[in-house]
Amino acid sequence: MTDLPAGEIPAGSSSRTWRRMRRNPAMAIGVTVLTAVVFFALIGPMISPYDPYDTALRMRLKPPSAAHWLGTDSQGRDLATRLMYGARTTLMLGLAGVAFAALTGGAIGLLAAFYKRLDNPLMRLIDVLLSFPSILFGLSLAAMMGPGLHSLILAIGLSIMPGIARISRGAALSVMAQDFMDGGRVIGLPDVTLMRRYLLANAYAPILTYVTLAFGDAVLLAAALGFLGLGLQPPTAELGSIAAEGRSFLFIAPHVSFAASALIFLIVLPVNMLGDTLRDAADRRAS
Amino acid sequence: MTAPLLELRTVRKDFALGQGLFAKRRILTALDGIDLSIAPGETLALVGESGCGKSTLGRIVAGLMPATAGEILFDGHPPARGKARARQIQIVMQDPFGALNPKMSVGELIAEPALLHGLVTRGTTPARVAELLSLVGLPEGVAPRYPHALSGGQRQRVAIARALATDPKLIVADEAVSALDVSVQAQIANLLKDIQARTGVSLLFISHGLSLVHHISDRVAVMYLGRIVEDGPTADLFARPRHPYTRALISATPEPVPGSSADRMHLTGEVPSPLALPSGCRFRTRCPHATDICAEVDPPRTAEGAAHVACHLAHRLPAYQSQTPEPAPRLQQAIALYRAAAARLDAA
Repeated sequence: MTDLPAGEIPAGSSSRTWRRMRRNPAMAIGVTVLTAVVFFALIGPMISPYDPYDTALRMRLKPPSAAHWLGTDSQGRDLATRLMYGARTTLMLGLAGVAFAALTGGAIGLLAAFYKRLDNPLMRLIDVLLSFPSILFGLSLAAMMGPGLHSLILAIGLSIMPGIARISRGAALSVMAQDFMDGGRVIGLPDVTLMRRYLLANAYAPILTYVTLAFGDAVLLAAALGFLGLGLQPPTAELGSIAAEGRSFLFIAPHVSFAASALIFLIVLPVNMLGDTLRDAADRRAS
Repeated sequence: MTAPLLELRTVRKDFALGQGLFAKRRILTALDGIDLSIAPGETLALVGESGCGKSTLGRIVAGLMPATAGEILFDGHPPARGKARARQIQIVMQDPFGALNPKMSVGELIAEPALLHGLVTRGTTPARVAELLSLVGLPEGVAPRYPHALSGGQRQRVAIARALATDPKLIVADEAVSALDVSVQAQIANLLKDIQARTGVSLLFISHGLSLVHHISDRVAVMYLGRIVEDGPTADLFARPRHPYTRALISATPEPVPGSSADRMHLTGEVPSPLALPSGCRFRTRCPHATDICAEVDPPRTAEGAAHVACHLAHRLPAYQSQTPEPAPRLQQAIALYRAAAARLDAA
């Protein structure tokens, strides 16, 4: 009865998930592309010889060349450099938005599941948020707070947050139904410890998966708001607004909009691939 | 009689059903007028069918849910609220696969309550964990393992070690062995008994069958539909059950020798819904002895020596035939026939 099978401590469920993920080629592609884009955005600005704000009107809308690898935009600025700064801004906006959403949404979901009496009020609040289209949300927030970094992050975060709150609540509710929650309560653990060590520790996997996918949405939303002119104001480089600037010259210089759109694509696609891999690996029925 | 460690006086628990906007609210009374006491170092077995309220009672005693009405006294006072209650009463739950946080190692699980209540320091933790592990018969080597790497019986031992970590005076074992293999059930029951002998902890042993109760408990309380219908010292209750329901329960316990209990008592029908209780005695719809008075008057709980029983007919029931197995004539006959047949086959 008390003798244990010999050998190593068997692998936990998290390392099983990890093994399944590594076997998936989508994971390798996603990681490679995303790493390349992040390098482009972070290291690029340090090594680029151009300034993203230096206009040179004689050099307007030049196609790709040896000096300007991706050509120049309507103000004669080096497009590659603009895109590096733009990608950095857009990534940062998406990250800040999704971080805000994960913290607030996760907290709301866990609280709603943990305290039954908070469930209804909190989730009705989430329903209200969910009923606003995100672009409209961005529009009204920009109108109320003025366009700027804070209102932009808030708009992105609040648009992403309801989904995270719902997923967190669902994941937390299924953990709450387990006996070990009472097992923690009966030894006298305070609620905060119960929520962290018992509830969150067992509910985080689906939340993390959803948050990864939500990061892609956040980047897309940041670019969309930028494209509509609700994002950071020119001349700040931002992928959405670069794509919008190029739109006026789409027929004479398609490379501007095209390069900006392609870069957005190269951020969102690997993020979604990663999210899908995570989801499949965490879902035992899939394998 | 010594002062009871735990005393329940007319404890009642209602659940409100139909919380919806339009649904009519109904009240389900899971426990109705429960009187119970446990002496220090005593084992009280609480027995009854599923749905009779025995787990609800265990959870109320452990402080996991409040009682609707009635009084609970621990050492003569209301039990402590919040964290301090964990030092008085602990619970071991039924499902050994769900009762331990899967993200914590065995060592962490056992150390957690002791650290929380300041019973150990960081330095003395490993020694205390080793001590508790040996108390429940597990080797020290399991401390770094996680619950999913253990068997059901091992997990239940970890759960018991965790319950012991706060040095409680009372442990509620809520069907703590029901989910285990029969051979492991006996081991865990013996372990509880052994720990009680060493630490003097009281046990509230909740079970849906009587098979282990005979060996483990000092007293037995039989529950039916939220009431205690009979309670008394174990030997007395098994030898002279006074309530028809107790007789039915004893009769339903599997016998080691088949065919020994010729006059088995079979209960027919379902347990009535606690939302539509029968008039008078709750058991009358299934009682083979029920008479007119049973439908009209709820039988009071009356003392019978050290025992209590709630039945109008307690003194008018046919004499109880002890079910201790006589040598089973039919079984012996069957074995003799088999042997004879085998001998003939060998000879041929």
